[in-house]
Amino acid sequence: MEGKVLNTINSNSVPDMLVVSSSPHIRSNESVKRIMLDVIIALIPASIGAVYFFGLNALKLILLSIASALFFEAAIQKLFRKEITINDCSAIVTGILIAFNLPANAPWWIPVFGSGFAIIVVKQCFGGIGSNFMNPALAARAVLLASWPNIMSNFVLPGVDAVTGSTPLAIMKYGGADAGASATVAQAVQELPSVMDMFIGNIGGAIGETSALLLLIGGLYLIIRKVINWKIPVVYIGTTAILLLILGVEMDQLIYHILGGGLILGAFFMATDYSTTPVTPLGQIIFALGAGILTALIRVKGGFPEGVSYSILLMNVASPLIEKFTAPKIFGRAK
Amino acid sequence: MKLSKIFKNGIINDNPIFVQLIGMCSTLAVTTNVTNSLAMGLAVIAVLVGSNFVISLLRHVIPDKIRIPAFVVVIATFVTIIEMFMKAYAQPIYQALGIFLPLIVVNCIILARAEAFAFKNGIIPSIADGLAVGFGYTIALVILGSIREIFGAGTFLGKTLFGANFQPAGIFVAPAGAFIVLGLLIGVFNFVRNKKASSEV
Amino acid sequence: MKETIKLGLILFIITAVSAGVLAISNNLTKDKIAEIAMAGSIEALKEVFGEENDFKALDEGRLDEIKKVNESTEEIFEVYSGESLSGYAIKISSKGFGKTNLITLTGFSLDGNIIGMRLVEHSETEGIGSKATLPDFTDRFQGKNASEEITVDTISGATITSKGVMSGVNEARKVFNEQLSN
Repeated sequence: MEGKVLNTINSNSVPDMLVVSSSPHIRSNESVKRIMLDVIIALIPASIGAVYFFGLNALKLILLSIASALFFEAAIQKLFRKEITINDCSAIVTGILIAFNLPANAPWWIPVFGSGFAIIVVKQCFGGIGSNFMNPALAARAVLLASWPNIMSNFVLPGVDAVTGSTPLAIMKYGGADAGASATVAQAVQELPSVMDMFIGNIGGAIGETSALLLLIGGLYLIIRKVINWKIPVVYIGTTAILLLILGVEMDQLIYHILGGGLILGAFFMATDYSTTPVTPLGQIIFALGAGILTALIRVKGGFPEGVSYSILLMNVASPLIEKFTAPKIFGRAK
Repeated sequence: MKLSKIFKNGIINDNPIFVQLIGMCSTLAVTTNVTNSLAMGLAVIAVLVGSNFVISLLRHVIPDKIRIPAFVVVIATFVTIIEMFMKAYAQPIYQALGIFLPLIVVNCIILARAEAFAFKNGIIPSIADGLAVGFGYTIALVILGSIREIFGAGTFLGKTLFGANFQPAGIFVAPAGAFIVLGLLIGVFNFVRNKKASSEV
Repeated sequence: MKETIKLGLILFIITAVSAGVLAISNNLTKDKIAEIAMAGSIEALKEVFGEENDFKALDEGRLDEIKKVNESTEEIFEVYSGESLSGYAIKISSKGFGKTNLITLTGFSLDGNIIGMRLVEHSETEGIGSKATLPDFTDRFQGKNASEEITVDTISGATITSKGVMSGVNEARKVFNEQLSN
């Protein structure tokens, strides 16, 4: 969650009223670092879970991703003759989030390419930390999916043997049969896993998104540390759930929708990213609403089983507009 | 204007794609591989030279008030001629370019050179300008096409470059990749150009 | 007023010269273009019917009559085995997934059996819709008869392209049935 931070003594306790604009504030490396470290701590439970469920492959992907992100950021900042800021740890966060979106059997060059694209093109080419207009990890995921759809959609089930299997969302969307299914999702007739499995994370999927429990622990930590606004994930997940019901998803399938896919990961760790979401409180709610609506629509009506990444990216692009309309009125200024 | 200056302008300082940022639509669509990029570039050079020549020839005859319709008729005529001859003698290229061949008529570059140069200058300089800007366009397209083909399909001019293990990144041959690579190229081109300009002073 | 006439006259001259030049170019190239189109068709026809047959384009008058009823008809060929008519090949334009229409060439024997089908022109997605040109798909049409609506299994992931080809073949079937009654 790379972001810009107000230069106050204790940024964690800035009341909402003072957060009004996104123009440059004096930013110190230290305060960014503190937030980034909190995020990294919050991601540790899910990282351990990833390695537990998916083995050393997952560890390899996470480490490669982090290392590449750090390397590319240092290299490109050197090339642009800017100050090297990798010690603010924002690249580490991007690295972890990119790895979390990959299937466990992805080859080594996938996280390297993804990190490279995220850091060089999405982040640094647009001005570096705080100035990117899109979530770098999600943009990288979108590019990876567009470039290598067969690799990126080929998820494995937990376990040492790396058996390929469908994600619960894919099973719900395409059913057990093959007719009409997208050619890129490997199909096997399977039953949906149990809800307990979904909660703990014993299911097929990207290595970081499977364990709802571990992600929620991290999310709770971030809320307690006041790094993120609790309303965002709640509104996001809530809106998604309500709209899914309206669109015809049955109640007993709903829990799979909430616990499956990247919804929890996205709601807590990506929809709350400072620089790519509105700064105003009302704006943040609108952002979460929009993302929820889009996620539900894409999952039910769209061509993909998962809609979180595109929803957040689309709302990222809409954020400046949302900010403009929700900017607080200034006292005393003539109309 | 010296001929060498005309050439330098067309290829570098006034490069239609990297500096003026015109005629981008066909650029993005056609550069999925080098062969198509070359074909398009050559077609545009032919049209540019032809239209610049005729418009320069008639520049004292065409009244100012109707110059735009006159330009368009001349340009459309040249494009149609080239289309016919390509269809007869170069079918594969004609198929590859598809609808973007007739769309050259509305390509900003041709009209811009007619208005900015051919209407105000002699015949030889106008032909030179057509060649120069056409070259600039073609070079830009071939660079973009090369990157997109090599990384997006693993081939160059249709010949496979890498072994079976190479998995090309599909994003490059997709429209999104075209925009991204073009953006980066514009940045690099202008960075180098500005550096050279400041060092020459 | 006088100036307007002068401007109009100059524009007229420019466009007239332009039209003249285009007419000359057209004359120079049209035979070659027709030749190429014909060669493309002949190649496809030979693939479907076999090398030893002869092909003749249908009489223009008759073709125009048919085109009035079935507007998507592009060309019709008579197939001769030696001296006797052995079948028809009908080229139809139908809507696919890509920017331009699909052009299908369907070959019928005189009793209405489909000898073969080729997708001769398309702008479908490479690797997905373009699979409709492969024998794996085109062979599915062989042996079907013009007396009933023709359906085959669609290519997975290329439903729109497959359906477009099917509608082309069915349109050809309609034309064939109308031909037979003539």
